[in-house]
Amino acid sequence: MSGEAKSNPPQPPASEPGIARSTVPVWIIVLTLMLLFLGMVYFDHHSGWFNPQIYGPYTSADQLESYQPKSGEAAMLAHGKARYDQVCGLCHGLDGLGKPGQTPPLAGSEWVNTRDFQRLARIPLEGVSGQLAVKGQAWSLSMPAMGAAMTDADLAGVLTYIRSSWGNQNGPVTAAAVKTVRAQLGLHPQPLTAEALKALPE
Amino acid sequence: MKNGFLIFLASLVVLGGSWCAFVLAPVLQLGGLKQTTVLNSSDVYPVGRPGEANQGLQVYRAEGCAACHTEQIQQSGVACDVVLTSVGTNETAVRKAFENGLKQNNWPLFMTQNFHKAGEPEMLLINVSKEIADAAVDTITAAGGKAEIHIIATGPDIARGWGRRHSVAEDYLYDNPVQLGSVRIGPDLADEGARSPDASWQLLHLYAPQSVVKGSAMPPYRYLFQIRQIGREPSPDALNLPKAFAPPSGYEVVPKATARELAAYLLSLRADVPLRDAPFSSR
Repeated sequence: MSGEAKSNPPQPPASEPGIARSTVPVWIIVLTLMLLFLGMVYFDHHSGWFNPQIYGPYTSADQLESYQPKSGEAAMLAHGKARYDQVCGLCHGLDGLGKPGQTPPLAGSEWVNTRDFQRLARIPLEGVSGQLAVKGQAWSLSMPAMGAAMTDADLAGVLTYIRSSWGNQNGPVTAAAVKTVRAQLGLHPQPLTAEALKALPE
Repeated sequence: MKNGFLIFLASLVVLGGSWCAFVLAPVLQLGGLKQTTVLNSSDVYPVGRPGEANQGLQVYRAEGCAACHTEQIQQSGVACDVVLTSVGTNETAVRKAFENGLKQNNWPLFMTQNFHKAGEPEMLLINVSKEIADAAVDTITAAGGKAEIHIIATGPDIARGWGRRHSVAEDYLYDNPVQLGSVRIGPDLADEGARSPDASWQLLHLYAPQSVVKGSAMPPYRYLFQIRQIGREPSPDALNLPKAFAPPSGYEVVPKATARELAAYLLSLRADVPLRDAPFSSR
C-alpha cells in the first residue's frame, strides 16, 4: 500500500495561475470612451459647458436669457420711485407737493407736464438758480444738479415717475433719450438761470 | 521594480487629472468672481459686511451653527405670472382677446379676478410656462392692452419662505470660510437678514429661542449673554424678555460682544435681490 502511494506523488492542478502579460479588453476601452462622451453631453446639456452663470433649473445661457425680467414700464416706475424717494423726495416731498417757500411742487407743475422732456431733464442735470414761476407762484430757487451723478437709467426712471405720478399723466422717458440730452449739455460752470431755462425748447 | 516608470506615469496622470477637475476647473470657473450689478438697477451686489458682522461670521463658525443650519437656497424651477398693467382704450376687446386665448390654447385658467383688489395690477395667469406667458402677452398687446411677465423662482425652499431665488456664487463672495452647512435641523439662513431684520428679535432668539418661536428646537445660547444685577439704572442693551424667560427681579440679561456680533452677522445675510444668474421679478 505504501509503495503504491510513493509511486503516485500528488500532481499540481493543471490550472495553476501563471504570470503572463495581458491586455485590457477592447470593449472596456470603448465603454470608457462612450461614458466619457456621455458625460460631456450631460455637462453641455446641464451647465452650458461649465458656464459659471448657469445654475439649477436653468440648463443653457439662452434659457437663462429668456427668463431675465424685462424692465417694463412698471419696473421702471418702481425703480424711479425708489430713486426719487431717496434723492429728490427730501425737498420735493414724497407726495410731489414741494415745501412752501422753499421747493416748488412737481404735481401739476407746468415745468413737468411738458410735451417733451428735453427741458425738464436739464433741471436735474444742471440745476436751476434764480426767480422762477411755478403754478402762478414766484419761487426763488437754488437747486443743485442733483441728477448729474445718476446713471441714465436712474434719471429716466425718476423722470418717468415724476411725469406720471400725483395726477401728472405723461408717457415714459427712456434711458437712451436721457443719454442724448446729457450729450447736448454744455460745460456750464453755474446752474441754469430761469431765463436760460425758458429759452430752451420743451 | 520592472514597470516603475509606467506606474509613476499612470499615477501622475490620475492625480493630475483629479487635481485639474477638483481644483483647477473651479478656480478657472469662479476664481475671478467679482461684485455684480442687481438686475434692472445700478446697485452693486454683494456689499461687504460691516466689521461687527464680519466678526460675527467667526462666532457663527465657532458656535457650530452650520451643524444645524444651511446657507444655500435650492430652486427647482421657474414660472411666470402674467399681469395686466393697462387695458388701453378698449377694455372689452382686451378681455375678449384674452378669453379667446384661454379657450383656444388651453391656458390654465385661474380665477384671479376674484382676488383682484382695486388699484392693483390684475393677475391674469399664475404659474405658467414662459411660452404660454409670451403668447398671452402678445395676445393682449395685439388687442391694445399692456401686460407684463413676472418671473417667479419656485421650489420647496422658496415655498417655505426661505428666500426668493436660489443661492449663487456671488452670495458667498465675502464669506471666509463659507458656511454652507449640510444639515437642516433649523431653517436655512441664507436670507435670514431679510426675513427677520430686527436685531433685538435676533438677540431674544439667541438667548431664549422658545420665547419668540414657539416649539423651536434650537438650544439657547445663554453663555453669549451676561445675567447681572441691575446697577443704578437698567442697561439700555438689556433684553426685553417675556415673563416666563426673564431672570429674577433685580437682574437683567445683557448681550456680550459675541452675541451682538452674531446678531449683526445674521442681519447681514440677505440674498433678496435679483441677479443675472438668479432672475426674478421684484415687486
